[in-house]
Amino acid sequence: MSATALPPADAVTVGSVAHRPRSLWSDAMRRLRRNRAAVAALIVLVVISALSVLAPFLPWLPDPTAQDLRLGVAPPSPAHWFGTDELGRDLLARVVYGGRISLLIGLVATFVSLVIGVSYGAIAGYRGGRIDEAMMRLVDLLYSLPYIFLVILLLVFFSRSLIMLFVALGLVQWLTMARIVRGQVLSLKQQTFVEAARALGASDRRIVFLHIVPNTLGPVIVYTTLTVPAIILQEAFLSFLGLGVQPPDASWGTLVAEGARTIALFPWLVAFPGLALSLTLLCFNFLGDGLRDALDPQDRGGVS
Amino acid sequence: MISAAGRLAIVLLAVCAAGCARSRSEDAQLAGGPAYFGDVTPPEHDVFTFNLGAEPESFDPALATGQPDGRVCRLMFEGLTQPDPRTLETRPAQAYRWDVSADGLTYTFHLRPGLTWTDGHPVTAEDFRWSWIRVLRPETGSRYANLLGSVVNATAFTNGELTDERQVGIAAPDDSTLVVRLAAPTAYFLDLTQFYTLLPVPRWTIEQHGNRWTQPANVVSNGPFVLRTWRQNDRFEFTKNPRFWNAAAVRLAGVVGLSLDDQNAATNLYKAGVIDWQPGGYLPSTFIPSLRRYADFVHSGYQGVYFYGFNVTRKPLDNLWVRRALSYAIDRDAIATDLLKKSRDPWGNMTPTGFPGYQHPEPVRFDPELARQYLARGGFPGGRGFPKLSILISTSEDLRRMAEAVQAMWKRELGIDVTITNQEWGSYMQATKSLQFDIVSRSWIGDYLDPNTFLSCFVTGDGNNRTGWSNPGYDQRLRAAAAELEPARRLATLSEAEAILLDESPVAPIYHMATNELIKPYVRGLYPTPLNVHPLTYLWIDRGAPAGATASHQVR
Amino acid sequence: MTRFLIRRLLTIVPTLWAIATLTFFMLRWAPGGPFLAERDIPEGVRAQLEHTYGLDRPLGEQYLTFLGRAVRFDFGPSYKYPARQVREIIAGALPVSLELGALALLVALLIGVPIGVVAAVRHNRAEDHAAMGLALAGVSIPNFVLGPLLVLVFSLGLFVLPPALWRGPESRILPVLTLSTAYVAYIARLTRAGMLEVLRQDFVRTARAKGLPEHQVVMRHAMRLGILPVVSYLGPAAARILMGSVVVESVFQIPGLGRYLVNAAFNRDYTLVMGGVLFYAAFLLILNLMVDVAYTWLDPRVELA
Repeated sequence: MSATALPPADAVTVGSVAHRPRSLWSDAMRRLRRNRAAVAALIVLVVISALSVLAPFLPWLPDPTAQDLRLGVAPPSPAHWFGTDELGRDLLARVVYGGRISLLIGLVATFVSLVIGVSYGAIAGYRGGRIDEAMMRLVDLLYSLPYIFLVILLLVFFSRSLIMLFVALGLVQWLTMARIVRGQVLSLKQQTFVEAARALGASDRRIVFLHIVPNTLGPVIVYTTLTVPAIILQEAFLSFLGLGVQPPDASWGTLVAEGARTIALFPWLVAFPGLALSLTLLCFNFLGDGLRDALDPQDRGGVS
Repeated sequence: MISAAGRLAIVLLAVCAAGCARSRSEDAQLAGGPAYFGDVTPPEHDVFTFNLGAEPESFDPALATGQPDGRVCRLMFEGLTQPDPRTLETRPAQAYRWDVSADGLTYTFHLRPGLTWTDGHPVTAEDFRWSWIRVLRPETGSRYANLLGSVVNATAFTNGELTDERQVGIAAPDDSTLVVRLAAPTAYFLDLTQFYTLLPVPRWTIEQHGNRWTQPANVVSNGPFVLRTWRQNDRFEFTKNPRFWNAAAVRLAGVVGLSLDDQNAATNLYKAGVIDWQPGGYLPSTFIPSLRRYADFVHSGYQGVYFYGFNVTRKPLDNLWVRRALSYAIDRDAIATDLLKKSRDPWGNMTPTGFPGYQHPEPVRFDPELARQYLARGGFPGGRGFPKLSILISTSEDLRRMAEAVQAMWKRELGIDVTITNQEWGSYMQATKSLQFDIVSRSWIGDYLDPNTFLSCFVTGDGNNRTGWSNPGYDQRLRAAAAELEPARRLATLSEAEAILLDESPVAPIYHMATNELIKPYVRGLYPTPLNVHPLTYLWIDRGAPAGATASHQVR
Repeated sequence: MTRFLIRRLLTIVPTLWAIATLTFFMLRWAPGGPFLAERDIPEGVRAQLEHTYGLDRPLGEQYLTFLGRAVRFDFGPSYKYPARQVREIIAGALPVSLELGALALLVALLIGVPIGVVAAVRHNRAEDHAAMGLALAGVSIPNFVLGPLLVLVFSLGLFVLPPALWRGPESRILPVLTLSTAYVAYIARLTRAGMLEVLRQDFVRTARAKGLPEHQVVMRHAMRLGILPVVSYLGPAAARILMGSVVVESVFQIPGLGRYLVNAAFNRDYTLVMGGVLFYAAFLLILNLMVDVAYTWLDPRVELA
């Protein structure tokens, strides 16, 4: 800080140095920035997302649906950097467009599970008492179902549209979210700012959603970041069973599942989508871990 | 971060290393004599192991449908006749001779003396009569009851109109004679008796155990092998039946059938030498170009046609011109030659090759210009306004790729969009039978060596029609052909019927099926056949073979 | 302890009942019911089949019969394979899945826990990052890539291991390795988190102050509590892993429960699906119970609720 500048009005002077008050967030951001792995992961994710979003506008990217039956499967070459698949489609293009779909599925399904999970957990935690117990009993019940099995049933019996896929995948993850949020809400409920809000006459709904939920954001963000890769992986698993996105759309999961079958003959068909998938999952996981470490006030590791 | 990137690098390296390892082992094979795909050490005991392809739904002969079921049935039971392993001609089996009356309406079968079931009961003509009546009984629910359709009163009995089984034209006047009376002469009737539905079953065992009679502990059979173990979704194990009438000529000590539903795993097992035969239809077509150079790869024609069926009860597929347009816009050459790497032949007829004397009518072909004209005549010039239809396939890599190729072709040539719906086998079968689809991927394989087996399914209301299509001229010709005794006229009538079928296009043939299989060099007596039927009874393992070949894992 | 057990068992029963009811009605009302879609079955045959499976009775009666039978673990014959009882099918496939799952879990624990402990002890140093990186990588490679990759290298490339099937001790290696990888990652992370938590606590500092060698502090004192998160994770994880992994069973053609149940879902094999769901739920609930008991044994401070 420059000696001539006035410290900000809310500065607290400790000793001779003026400190800006450290909120939880700036603290966390500082710690995150120091976690080089997480930062690198974030950068990689931004690049991948940008590629996915901009894919249709990239001029040098071939059409992922253009088939060349005569060429068929071909290993990587100057004409096709990642090689081609059995229908002669350029694999690089397929991987990039696959990313669009995988990320879309990951984000939307995560959003679905977020909305359901947060609302459910917040209501249960805030209401407390019998309602809370009943709601958590339901969660326990649902936990004991073999979920993936039921997701399969859902997709087999009803349609295989993209919407159904979002719903089915979103349903898998909301339980843990609900539990986390409920736990947070339970501890936040006792705090003074809630009592103050209630004293001021704010309605319950307002309190829950305007005051409490924003304060649960920490763990929610962490869990969300960790849910996205889990969902993308689930979708890949469903593709392996033939229940994922339907042709000609292909997610990374579809590409990897298809490629893995011919790994002995055409390893590039699984290597490139597999690398893209794994790299993205890795980055999400690193980022999520980094966020968790950053937001966890107890973990001061390294700062003695 | 370093370690993560390092891990990814390891993955890449492993893939490359594996790729190199593969080419190294293949090169080693070329060193000495013809190259074989994988390990060629014969099994220690005379046990033949093969891939069943899927878990059989039932190996009760009356209820069996499909290759896996049929193969198991044929190992355990033997019928009146059996197919020759090479030509599929009808040969004596449990019946050592038969007489056919001059008018072609009465068949008399004479059973060998001394035939027994595995529990000691003698095999009698009454067993055959009871088994065949059982197939015809409506409560049994046999899918192939129509095989006996030409027998006197058989159809009435199956429909429930007739309840006295003694009036059906199957009789056993004594223990070793079976007399079958037909309502109309059927040229291929003898070939039908080879079919697994008509294998005999033990009445007393069924009456005692109900539908659990096929459990290894309960089952009683009369065939060359006895079922020892059955582990669901895993394997069937058979040992030689010492009571079999021709046990002296059976050289295998046992047979093992593995229910493998993953084609890649099956191929890997063949390469590792665990299975001795990877039958036709279970090799992923992407492998075929690389497999062609191996001496144990066998490719041959096969009586089957792969086609797309149109649901003519749904708009706009009820329109003749639309269907023709769709059919003429499929580039069959590209599919068979490029996509399927010549593992199949492009085909524009609904009957395959291999019928001497049969003249195929003019085939459907790829003509995009004509297709566009047809579509315009159908009311959708340039594809405008054409609804989004869906192609239904059952879960399979090959089928999906073909559907994607056709999807692209229709988009390119006709300007229409279609989606692809993928269902697993059970749901796919239900949807097909109940006409819950727009366009469906199907194949038909001959049950016997005659064009009728391909054409009879499209008769009005036939259970295998599954298109909703009906044409009185077609039905009439098939009826006429069935009654016609003179072979040349009969085949000509059938050809006219096929011409109608192709013209009205409720179906669009795409390729002629072929078998691509892998047979270990030490297996003898196994030949590719046009119906993909392989009697395994007289197979044997030749320990001297192959001379001069080195197993890939012995040379490093 | 006994009171706790009894109370827990009392909650398990209504849970199972709820699940059974849920599944029953879901399957009955799902579109494309068993024989409804098949049009070419002659009427007589269809009526026969419906009668055999009791589908011609009123819904309420079907439900009660179902419940009555379910208590005795009798779900009747499978729809798809009518010659076999659901009970038999599950009983036949279960030992295979149990063996596969138990081995995988054992391997995951044997590898994961030490990794987690090392990572915690060497917190924020090179070993920590390496271990966590490895763990994360394990989670990021799907089973259906890892499996064929291992087959490619060890079976088709090097010919040391069989590529599929479940015969003989060598055939266990690749499937177990494939299945355990993701669990190694989770267990490592949980152990690390748990150990970090414990290592900060007072009694650890006391132990150190007393002059105990570090490895004794870690192994004898800290680990008992440090692996608690792993223990509570083990319950659902064990249920999932023991009920079979579809991918591993597909790739290696192992006749396990996972493949059966998924195929049952695809085949609309209602009875097998219901049997499977109930079985899984019961299994999971009992495992959770065992986990909670183990928890108290490990951490005497925890009281059973």
